[in-house]
Amino acid sequence: MVGCVVADAHDGIVVEAVVRQGVNSNTVAALAASLYGGAVQSARAAGMGEVGFLRLEAERGHVFAIGWGDLVLVVIADVSVNVGQLRVDMLKSRESLA
Amino acid sequence: MTVTVAEAWVEEPLRRFVDDARVVFALLVHPSGQVMGQHGFTRAVDVMSACALAAAINASAGALGRELEARPFQELYHAGLERQVFLAEAVTVRGACVLITAFGRETSLGLVRLYFQEFRQALAAAAPQAEKAGPVLAADFERELDRSMAVLFGRARPRDLTPV
Repeated sequence: MVGCVVADAHDGIVVEAVVRQGVNSNTVAALAASLYGGAVQSARAAGMGEVGFLRLEAERGHVFAIGWGDLVLVVIADVSVNVGQLRVDMLKSRESLA
Repeated sequence: MTVTVAEAWVEEPLRRFVDDARVVFALLVHPSGQVMGQHGFTRAVDVMSACALAAAINASAGALGRELEARPFQELYHAGLERQVFLAEAVTVRGACVLITAFGRETSLGLVRLYFQEFRQALAAAAPQAEKAGPVLAADFERELDRSMAVLFGRARPRDLTPV
């Protein structure tokens, strides 16, 4: 795991962050919250309802996001992560935080 | 995006900031209140008012920060109902500049702060060497303000300070 950030979904400001050295949590929070907001709008515009789980696959890893209320939980992981397990863990975290 | 500038070297960093951060208004001013560049304003009188207010807010916040924390505040943020305002200082070899920007729901405070960091670096890199400072007289200020307004609203050409 590279890092985990809880951010305000509207402002993109960090609420809490645990990230590996060299990862800028402010940058991650701002961009990931914007990405998540765009996904929410896209899903609604397409008539698909609410976004449950967002996964971005990149060359050297993944960015995952789930939202609840005004917050978004962002996890950055390298390519070796078990995506299924991480998804279950993130959904459990959302339930416990909600 | 329409960006107009009184100093040619600020144009590219300011244009990039406006494009990336998707702000509604942006105004780059000298701490004295002289305009350096703007985006989103259509009337000279609005720019003049915003410049004066931005300079005053920056000066007040700086004084308050020094009083409370022994150093000026780095950033100021105000959340309105529809629009939000962000103000921060960028330092170059030509001295400090103040950026005040207003934005809506198309963007976020996090993105504005992120792209402001890039803007600050780009502005510092673009700044030509400082000219020898002249006397600061009320007459000079007014003449410079008039010239800046004429440039911003197409009545004169921007001053190109790029070193040869």
